[in-house]
Amino acid sequence: MATDDQQAARGAFLRRSLGRLARATGVALWVMVIAFGLIRIAPGDPVIALLGAEAPPAAIEKMRRDLRLDVDPATQFVEYTWGMLHGRLGTSIETRRDVADIIAESLPVTLGIIAVTLVLALAMAVPLALLIATRRSPIVPYVFRATTSVMLAIPTFFTALIGLILFGLHWRIAPIIGYEPGFPGNLRFLWLPALVICTHLVPVLSRVLHASLVQTRGEEFVETGIIRGVSRLRFAWFYLLKPSLAPSIVLLSYMVGVMIGSTVIIETIFSLPGIGRSLVGAVINRDYPLVQGIVLVFGLFVVAVSLAGDLLANWLDPRVGAA
Amino acid sequence: MSLLDIADLTIGIPRGRATPLVIVENASLRLQPGEMLGLIGESGSGKTMLCRSLIGTLRRRGAAILSGRITLAGTDLAHTDEHAWRDIRGRRVGYVPQSALAGPNPVMTIAAQLREAILQGTPGTDVPARARELLDLVQIRRPERVLDQYPHQLSGGMRQRVMIACAIAGTPELLVADEPTTGLDVTVQAGIMQLLRDIRARLGTAIILVSHDLALVDDVCDRILVMHAGACVESVPANAAPRHPYTIALNRSRIELAEPGAPLLTIAGQPPSVGDWPPGCRFAARCSIAQPDCGLGPHPPLRGEAHANACLHPERAA
Repeated sequence: MATDDQQAARGAFLRRSLGRLARATGVALWVMVIAFGLIRIAPGDPVIALLGAEAPPAAIEKMRRDLRLDVDPATQFVEYTWGMLHGRLGTSIETRRDVADIIAESLPVTLGIIAVTLVLALAMAVPLALLIATRRSPIVPYVFRATTSVMLAIPTFFTALIGLILFGLHWRIAPIIGYEPGFPGNLRFLWLPALVICTHLVPVLSRVLHASLVQTRGEEFVETGIIRGVSRLRFAWFYLLKPSLAPSIVLLSYMVGVMIGSTVIIETIFSLPGIGRSLVGAVINRDYPLVQGIVLVFGLFVVAVSLAGDLLANWLDPRVGAA
Repeated sequence: MSLLDIADLTIGIPRGRATPLVIVENASLRLQPGEMLGLIGESGSGKTMLCRSLIGTLRRRGAAILSGRITLAGTDLAHTDEHAWRDIRGRRVGYVPQSALAGPNPVMTIAAQLREAILQGTPGTDVPARARELLDLVQIRRPERVLDQYPHQLSGGMRQRVMIACAIAGTPELLVADEPTTGLDVTVQAGIMQLLRDIRARLGTAIILVSHDLALVDDVCDRILVMHAGACVESVPANAAPRHPYTIALNRSRIELAEPGAPLLTIAGQPPSVGDWPPGCRFAARCSIAQPDCGLGPHPPLRGEAHANACLHPERAA
């Protein structure tokens, strides 16, 4: 039955979604402008990088003309935007391959790292926070805070190297190098990098969730659940977790958005052919179209993930976004 | 035979080897089936703890029954374990929480919360039909609309009506409402009070209505039990004149009785705090007719049947 306020709610949802889309388009445009500008402001030249400083001037001139780098930047930007509107991300200067192809190849690797990290982080942080928040011990939360602080203080590149030495060389249960695309074969290469990222993600996530849980625990409706005698599982979900998760989900969506960029280090250490490593190569070679394409994907990813986080938080706790 | 019989109930917080912190001392009350009792007292008088002992959530607050009896129609509630409480809560004792704003679960629809309450009270019921019936009973119009909503989409009064619907889902013999109108507008408060009266009339549920507002419960209850500093001081039938100096003073300080221009009447001093109770009558220090013997011995017990009073010198009070 479609009552008036159901219709009104649907209308509000549609308006909000359209607003979101408009904002995402705005962000994409800004990201394009900034990526386009920054890489050109940076010193260096893609033609010199490709042909070498000793190349004959005629060859350099010719290549510059071929790549249409001889026209002024404003014209280049218009041409780039025009191509974008027709679904062309351009061609990599270094490899002469389609930028979209390079991204389609390396993005799944990075998304795989992020996905495995998310699953591991939630599987560890949620039970941990729940366990500590429901035990009435004065010592446990103290130990928890101290441990998480120590974990946060250790940089991930260090943890990654230790992880490689221990799991890869000493116990030989993790591959040190290489990658195999496709699920589930890729999991063999992704679990250790994901675990390393978790050493920073789990402390932050479990602390925020623990704080929310402690607050929820003191709310009056929790007593209603006890009085109603609901099952342990139902109580844990509907009376503790569901009312507490929203802030953690919003934080997580933000962190995941940032993660796509910060996996650069992890991908380099574990020699995974992800998008972060492609970006490093593209920047070194001043591969303008590739840099622009990847940075744009980063921007869209951040927007999409934060949108997904907001929607999920709103689904978990309808108070969020109701104001 | 009375439905609820509380005798010499003492509730306190155990403190290891130290003597427990007593919060309610030697409380006694009797409730007939279908009777509506107002429980009145200032903050810290022990009325909320008394309520919690009736639904078995003292332990959650670190408190325990130290001595005394609670009998609900033959069942001993003072020595009930957590497992047995499951059969009592919801089915025999319903509970309406203190705050309409924080009482309902914010992340569950009204339908889901009613469903929990219905299935606890009477497993195997036709839930949607019963939910509508309950919402009808608490006088919510257009129940089909409310069912799909979340608590934050409802007004405070509506939320409390839903909580009452949940509390009576298992048709309990006793309904405990702990300050059910805190934070609601005066007109909404009156509506909730009227609703509780209606429920009593239609279902024959005995109700304990806790409040710190004498004027609010005076009109709707059959009897009022007044608590002060953890002790019962008077049990007044409705419409009878109070005889205990504390009740008399409370009655005089009712704001609607104040004369324009005249200063508001208040009760001098503060109620003694928990753990710091003086010997003898705990109201003596604030009492205008206190005699030397008021401050001696244990707190005087309630005496009398229909209209019980704990004052040692009722003849002086007026």
